[in-house]
Amino acid sequence: MNPGLLYVTRKFTFSAAHRYWRDEWSAEENARVFGPLTVTHGHNYVLDVTLRGSVDPLTGMVVDLGELKRVVGDAILARFDHADLSADPLFARRQIPTTENLVRAIWDLLVPTLGGERLHGLRLREDPTFHVEYFGP
Amino acid sequence: MSALRLTRTYHFSAGHRLASPALSDAENARVYGPCYRQHGHNYRVEVTLAGRLDPETGMAADLALLDAAVKRVILEPVDHHDLSGTVPALDGVITTGENLARAFWQWLEPALPPGSLTRVAVIETDNNAFEYRGETAR
Repeated sequence: MNPGLLYVTRKFTFSAAHRYWRDEWSAEENARVFGPLTVTHGHNYVLDVTLRGSVDPLTGMVVDLGELKRVVGDAILARFDHADLSADPLFARRQIPTTENLVRAIWDLLVPTLGGERLHGLRLREDPTFHVEYFGP
Repeated sequence: MSALRLTRTYHFSAGHRLASPALSDAENARVYGPCYRQHGHNYRVEVTLAGRLDPETGMAADLALLDAAVKRVILEPVDHHDLSGTVPALDGVITTGENLARAFWQWLEPALPPGSLTRVAVIETDNNAFEYRGETAR
């Protein structure tokens, strides 16, 4: 068989709180722009991590999914599961923890370990009606 | 008329275990963990075809032809079989999702209109998916 390029996706879940709020804005301005999202609330996030690569002929695998579980567990789940995203140093007074910003933050946290060549894409589902996909900068 | 992509989902149930003949028992257990034990899955297979819309039929692919081809070349050989034992076409293949996706592509591609097959995804569990798009790794 040719050295085929495979895409491997594993799903992870975490639950976290957040609110949308800019300190430099008045309460009225925040309420006008963000509506009910100014109040701290939370989601059951679903994160799909897709890696790509050729199959190791010895193992038949692109990646050891156990290793991927450890990497995502250490870098993402340990940090964000049952946490307040708005209080995380990545977001507090820096950027609003929207799904868009969160998926980019997750990318930046994973890429040092997984490598930009292997990490193909992320899909972050905030709730069953909305998800954002990111394929790197 | 623009190209469209159509995806159809199929199911089969099969046994398998992951073991490399090049590795010892201890190494296999370390590399594959619980997958080294005989077990099985309700597999989901997604097949994506690309095609141009036929203005007469309003369709971009012949799904009946696809269904018949998938049934003949994939589902019948593997459904309620042991992928690591009773499927001759998989002899010598470590039946990871990666290798199954590529094998299914190779079985299916000649049975479909040339150039139409775009993607084969093997979804082993709700948490693991393996996709082959006919690309060659560098």
